[in-house]
Amino acid sequence: MTKNFLEINNVTFRASEKNKVNNVSLNIENEGDIVCLLGPSGIGKTTILRTIAGLEKIDSGTIILKDKVLSSNDSHIEPENRNISMAFQDNSLFPHYNVLENIKFGAERNKKKKGIEIDDLIKFLHIDHVIDKFPHQISSGEAQRASLARALLSNPDLLLLDEPLSNVDQSFKEEIQVKLKQILTEQKITTIIVTHDSYEAFYLGTKCGIILDGHLKQYDDPYNVYHFPNSVEVVNFLNRGILIPAKVTGENSLENKDLGTITGNFIKHYPKGSEVKLLLQPEDLEHDDKSNLKLEVVDRKFRGTNFIYTLKTESSKLIPVFVHSHHIHQHEVDEKFGIKRPIHIDHIVCF
Amino acid sequence: MGKKINIWYFSSFLISIVVAIPIVTVFSSFFETTGNYSLILKNTFLYDYIFNSFVLLTGVLILTFIIGVGCAYLVSFYDFPGVNFFKWVLILSFAVPAYIYAYSLTAFFENYGTAFSILKSLFGEGNYNIFIPKFDGMMGAIISISFSLFGYVYVLTRASFHYQSQNLIELGKNLGFSKKKSFFKIILPSARPAIVAGLSLVAMETLSDFGAVSFFGISTLTTGIYNAWISFDDLTLANRLSFYLLIFILGLFVLENLSRKKAQYHTPSKGGFKSKTLIKLKGLKSFFAFKFCAIIFFISFLFPVLQMLYWTIIFPKHLIDLNLVELFLNTILLVILSSIVLISFAFISNYGNRVSRSKFLEVLTTFSISGYAIPGIILAVAFITFISWFDNNIIDIFGFKTIKSIFIGSIFGLVIVYFIRFFSLASNGIKSGYLKISYSIDESAYLLGYSKFKTFKNIHIPYLKNSMLLIGILISIEIIKELPITLIMRPFNFETFATTAYVFASQDLLEAAAAPSLFLILIASLFILITSKYILKD
Repeated sequence: MTKNFLEINNVTFRASEKNKVNNVSLNIENEGDIVCLLGPSGIGKTTILRTIAGLEKIDSGTIILKDKVLSSNDSHIEPENRNISMAFQDNSLFPHYNVLENIKFGAERNKKKKGIEIDDLIKFLHIDHVIDKFPHQISSGEAQRASLARALLSNPDLLLLDEPLSNVDQSFKEEIQVKLKQILTEQKITTIIVTHDSYEAFYLGTKCGIILDGHLKQYDDPYNVYHFPNSVEVVNFLNRGILIPAKVTGENSLENKDLGTITGNFIKHYPKGSEVKLLLQPEDLEHDDKSNLKLEVVDRKFRGTNFIYTLKTESSKLIPVFVHSHHIHQHEVDEKFGIKRPIHIDHIVCF
Repeated sequence: MGKKINIWYFSSFLISIVVAIPIVTVFSSFFETTGNYSLILKNTFLYDYIFNSFVLLTGVLILTFIIGVGCAYLVSFYDFPGVNFFKWVLILSFAVPAYIYAYSLTAFFENYGTAFSILKSLFGEGNYNIFIPKFDGMMGAIISISFSLFGYVYVLTRASFHYQSQNLIELGKNLGFSKKKSFFKIILPSARPAIVAGLSLVAMETLSDFGAVSFFGISTLTTGIYNAWISFDDLTLANRLSFYLLIFILGLFVLENLSRKKAQYHTPSKGGFKSKTLIKLKGLKSFFAFKFCAIIFFISFLFPVLQMLYWTIIFPKHLIDLNLVELFLNTILLVILSSIVLISFAFISNYGNRVSRSKFLEVLTTFSISGYAIPGIILAVAFITFISWFDNNIIDIFGFKTIKSIFIGSIFGLVIVYFIRFFSLASNGIKSGYLKISYSIDESAYLLGYSKFKTFKNIHIPYLKNSMLLIGILISIEIIKELPITLIMRPFNFETFATTAYVFASQDLLEAAAAPSLFLILIASLFILITSKYILKD
């Protein structure tokens, strides 16, 4: 008897010889947990979902769902017998049935199990105006939502969503994300979501897995994935911060030749004098017009709620700095931008 | 899905093996000794066969290119009186088999034929025979085959022209091209794969034609095969000749496949395709376009129909003697049986390939469907050879009763050879339907708890029912017209419209061949009319 709801033990997920994710071990502890898998395109995220669904076989390891071995090197339960649903990224609606009939295919699967009402689902996914139409008559975003509705209605033991909202209009993407999370949580539908949108993953996921270079690099809470990335590759992939050279000068301090002394709590011990790469994230530095530490503005991105300034140091390093968009004044490119001193970072991540 | 040998895989494998029998038989003839006739043939007629086949092929390709591309160009780019009518009536030529065209051509132009009668009724008695051109021999065969086959070039080229984006034409205008330069530099080259595909089909059909060439007494490789088998009772030689022909045809087949792959760039994308505005022709130009299409329609369809109708009317005795009901029922029986068998097995084979995703199976299926390129006569001979070999070497050893009578000279055997001959048509038709269903649709069905059989039954069959209907009708048209296989494989005294027409024509009773020919054309035309929308679209 396993203690986890889903266990993936040492499985190599293989779409082709070149495209594989090696030796993955991943558990979903509780029913109703949501796991988001993040990674660049073509890395094998979809292959992982397809394999769990039973559409691909495995050569080694085991996949166990609710104490039942679904896949191993010598056994394979066919997809139709797994009670796992999947919403594909591309349009996988049956072309000769209209949207409503397509969605009802999901409801037919587990008639006895009481789940979400079909009408509510159609409404919240904003597809009530297309239910009588055929798949070729609707947009890709609408098709994707219809496919999501069908998968949700089937009340599976495990729901797999492959980039479920990638074609959905930005205008109701967030609303759907909120509602989707609510449904998944209320219905206790254990879900694995593949996405390349880290914000989506951080919001929806109980846990996030980062897949890079054919490996599951990190599998942790969203907060930890963002704030405590475990490798340079994860930092580069999340692309929020930069790594700058620094020298450890004490238990809680290090020195960078452009920024001076930086204090904070190391999440890992480094001996004094060590040369490290310090992770600087946009929110680590604070703006201060009165500061004597001035750096040149080379770019400014307006993000609605905030600005991200890119500043150039003496040694030509480009550092991102987060500033609230209601900040009293804006700095133009080529202007000088003050950084508050002393610099204190809550948790210091170094490599 | 992982590759798995299941019932679908096995069924698909078995179907491919059955379809591949004639190809393997033909190739195996190389390891057998032939009779003395092969030496005689080598020293006498073989080069004639090859030379005549080559001349015939060249003539037909040139003529079908001019007619097919010419008509397609006019109806695709210009607006002139009757353009919408010509768009679809030009495909009616598919209803006229080359051998019936040959009968009509001869009947009209022969001494004291229909042309003579017309002139006589118009101008009174006279020696008109010396002024009436004679279209017999090679010229007759080239014309007959060309007018009955140009439809392949017309349909494929027209589809390609139709999907040619307006952007392409406008690009030519921007570059300052004249209409002529646009045609030769842009329109024609970008339709090249479609034209080559059409010409390849014409070439295959020409090389495998038996009815027209034997009627005109031209010795080609196909008639050589027939003679080797019928006159000299040398099945091995017949198969070896088939091998030469097959190599030739397979070359064309490869060419056609290659060009089809390249043709993908014609596929219109949702955003990039802008339908063309037809150029309105006026005055002489409009008259010329109308005249060209009208003449081609008249020569390719109305002429043989009117000639056969004329004879049917002036020789009513032959019509009365004809057992129409029996011929109709026989033809329909073959059509129904073959369509059911072909569509069912094509479906199973395609689904097997889809489910197993086995490269080996895919290659095997592709190899086996090249049977379409094999002339019907070769298929029939190869099938008989195989059954004889199987009967003598396998059945005999186990002491079972001979199976020859089950397969040779029976409806069952006839349907099997039809199956082998037209499997490619059915299989490719189903396949193109399947290409429109992405794999994720199957996978969605599995993940909704549908088994493979249930997915096949509840998702695929309902979705592809229109394709099935279309394929069924296309098969029907082919079977109604089919001659050599029916002639060789049919049970004793079992006649169809095609065989009746041929038997009369081969006895020089062309007027008696008119009525069955007419009915054959009318039934095939009816089927073509039903499917014209799809034929012109795809």
